[in-house]
Amino acid sequence: MKYSEITIRFCGIAGDGIVASGKILAGACANIGLHVMVNNIYSAEIRGLGKSSATIRFSTEKLYSMGDGLDLLVGMMSKESIIDLRDVKVGGNVIYDTSTIGDVAEEDSLASHITPEIQGHGLPIKKLANEATGTNQGKNLVAIGAICYFYSLPPEMFIDQIRSVFAHKEEHIIDINIKAFNLGYEYFRENYPLNNQFEIDKRSEPRALTSGNDAIAKGAIDCGLKFFAGYPITPATKIMEIAAKELPKLGGWTLQMEDEIAAIGAVLGAWFAGKRAMTATSGPGLSLMSEMINMSVMAEIPTIIVNVQRGGPSTGLPTKVEQGDLNIALYGGAGDSPRVVMAPTNSEECYSGIQLAFDIAEKYQTPVIFLSDLFLGQRTETVTIKENIDRNRCTRKKPTPEQLENFQRYQITDDGVSPLIVPGEPGAVYSTTGLEHSVTGNPNYEEDVHSMMTAKRFRKFESMVEDLPEADILGEETADIGIAGWGSTIGSILEGMEIAKKQGVKTKLIKSIMIHPQHEDSFRKFFASCKKIIVPEMNYQGQYAALLKSRYGIKPIEIHIPSVNPVSPLKIAQKIMETSSELSQ
Amino acid sequence: MSFLSKQTVLDEFKKAKESKTKEWRDNLPTWCPGCGHFTGLHGLYEAAERLNIPPKDFVVVSGIGCSGRFPFFIKGFGLHGLHGRAIPIATGIKVASPDLTVVVVGGDGDGVGIGGGHFPHAARSNFNLTYILLDNSIYGLTKGQISPTSPMGMKSGTSPYGNIARPLNPTTLALAYGATFVARTFSRERDMVSELITKAIQHKGFSFIHDLSPCVVFNKVVTYDSVNDASAMLPEGHDILDRSKAMTLAESTEPIYQGLFFREEVPSFDDHAKQVRDGLKD
Ligand SMILES: Cc1ncc(C[n+]2csc(CCOP(=O)(O)OP(=O)(O)O)c2C)c(N)n1
Ligand code: SF4
Ligand SMILES: [Mg+2]
Repeated sequence: MKYSEITIRFCGIAGDGIVASGKILAGACANIGLHVMVNNIYSAEIRGLGKSSATIRFSTEKLYSMGDGLDLLVGMMSKESIIDLRDVKVGGNVIYDTSTIGDVAEEDSLASHITPEIQGHGLPIKKLANEATGTNQGKNLVAIGAICYFYSLPPEMFIDQIRSVFAHKEEHIIDINIKAFNLGYEYFRENYPLNNQFEIDKRSEPRALTSGNDAIAKGAIDCGLKFFAGYPITPATKIMEIAAKELPKLGGWTLQMEDEIAAIGAVLGAWFAGKRAMTATSGPGLSLMSEMINMSVMAEIPTIIVNVQRGGPSTGLPTKVEQGDLNIALYGGAGDSPRVVMAPTNSEECYSGIQLAFDIAEKYQTPVIFLSDLFLGQRTETVTIKENIDRNRCTRKKPTPEQLENFQRYQITDDGVSPLIVPGEPGAVYSTTGLEHSVTGNPNYEEDVHSMMTAKRFRKFESMVEDLPEADILGEETADIGIAGWGSTIGSILEGMEIAKKQGVKTKLIKSIMIHPQHEDSFRKFFASCKKIIVPEMNYQGQYAALLKSRYGIKPIEIHIPSVNPVSPLKIAQKIMETSSELSQ
Repeated sequence: MSFLSKQTVLDEFKKAKESKTKEWRDNLPTWCPGCGHFTGLHGLYEAAERLNIPPKDFVVVSGIGCSGRFPFFIKGFGLHGLHGRAIPIATGIKVASPDLTVVVVGGDGDGVGIGGGHFPHAARSNFNLTYILLDNSIYGLTKGQISPTSPMGMKSGTSPYGNIARPLNPTTLALAYGATFVARTFSRERDMVSELITKAIQHKGFSFIHDLSPCVVFNKVVTYDSVNDASAMLPEGHDILDRSKAMTLAESTEPIYQGLFFREEVPSFDDHAKQVRDGLKD
């Protein structure tokens, strides 16, 4: 068989080097210029002996999602891998460990569950690892050696990668790992005739691998982040860990606070003091922050909250993905409480989008909620990050000398944005409050003041539209079927559209990193040009669909997937095909 | 004790607008005549004047409550925050801009009720903040409900049959949390309040003032007189470096000691952070 795209999963328990296997395979593929996406899954938050898996998809073409199904399942542990057999494609392959066959009961043996439509390949993983390293360590490299031969990939790409991964270790460690790799390679060469070929002619420059969480942290730091305050929560903690390591080197700081209320409070404080600051959390933390988000709205103190969504409600599904926090992001708060909501669709947008979030927050003195999700946040993928972003596109509105003379912190202006000064700057002082206030910031509850100030706070959302990117429209302009999506689901939608296209069905897609506010005209025009509109998303209620329905008056076909896994492109393609046949009836 | 009429209080404040602390005076306070919080405010004016803190570098962060209104009465930057959340907001300000003088003000409900989870962490981190807790053992702004420092048995709208829980003692809490400057004051003693607030602001690290500041409208149990009758200055020769002795004295309710219980000169958060950053330079 010839392949231009392969999906492999390593399955085992902590200590099997599952994550490391993913890293080595992904790193090796990225180094020779392939496109790669990696998704790690942990069964529980506790390490213990819990199951873990790493799925690696690599291709000569750009990847948008994890696709559907596995070409190869590598069962490092027999029992734990059985359930993953259902994800193997028809005609796909399984590698199982022959050296443990006698140790497990028949019903726990991976080999005995392999059905006729998939092919099993035995490999004495544990035995060869012990031969190479004297311990069970190196099991993953035995498997990678076998994979290398199996798909006739060039061995040097792995040898180089092993050297760089273990660069900080002694030479002898590198040697035994390479030996493990070679033993796996040789075993397959001797036992299985070569009949698979990964087409690798499209080699190009090495590509960088990053996760959504990495990209958000890097983007924020590159645009002047000076202060981070947070409280650990899966799947957002990585962002805080990067900030904790990097900010002190740049004269900044990261505080681990006592809870999320304190975290967002400290972030508000830092912005009040004129520094770029942010926090990152997930559903339970975002819920705790809602009063402080309202404070940010009322006092017009900028703030940035990254919310890496996980399954909910409540403590929910900490290690599973869902797009269930759109409603709380948009509406979670008392009173008329406008806020910017953004949702990046891939790692590139995590990087550039968080920078836009900072600029918008600073210029328009508003909270920005940046909605990533567990899948986007944790998966690693090859990306091309755009680093040359205009640093001066949006800046803080400072008072003129006349305005400073008789400083009105909440001066009424056409665009709704009032001049802002920060402590330590000479010329004027002011007090702010979460109470309704007059132009000076003094508490005031009069009817006309409240309506004037509310209108001012909303007016900013009209003026900011000019600084926002237009929606992206992809696919075939003339298509009758239009799809609207958001966040990481976009990747699956794009691949679903591709599958449908191969079946002769044309579609188009509208997507925007801006959920609120949006360039509404482009959405209106797009919807007007569609006969059918499909809105797929990973939640039960159809939260984005509800927003689009109320905003644009459309009646879409909704696909609600309260998913624990990234959306399957096939599922999207099926809906497209169904819709297409309804249209032609 | 008899109280001054509202007019007299306002006249006094208007006159004071011409005093040496006028540079730090802003809107006239809106509290009830005789409210203990006037003394805390006066103390903060005096401290700002004595230490000559430029208003542009002076930030007062408050929670919500009668006590929370401080920022509007002081010329400087002010942030009237959320109920119970002044400490984390102030922390963000101070860590982001260490050259500012940041003072946190709040009530007993604010500080050891709703916001009670923040106080320990600011204290143990030794952030360079001054925290003034104005304790009237009542929820003043919401018109008289029991607070975490109300005595057992106290009746109020929400405790019609008497308070069942035991009161917290903010001074002992601060000592237990590791605050590096802990004092208790009483709002009848203006000079003591001004003096200790000044010292607290000068202290490098987390300084805490537990100001007994009676509510003359809603608290009929904890009053100027009841506090006055139980008051005593800390014994002569009390060793302010002895945390456990300070704890024993702070626990006493008969008498209720006032003065500087504890002070320790150890590196503040700012010193530690600077050390880390300097270490990363090479
Ligand atoms: C989250 C929240 N809950 C409740 C309130 C209502 N509230 C305002 S002030 C206050 C209590 C104030 O008591 P204290 O902190 O002791 O201050 P004091 O008024 O006595 O100075 C309460 C419960 C609020 N503002 N916010
Ligand atoms: S209600 Fe009590 S605490 Fe509030 S201002 Fe009046 S006297 Fe002071
Ligand atoms: Mg009180």
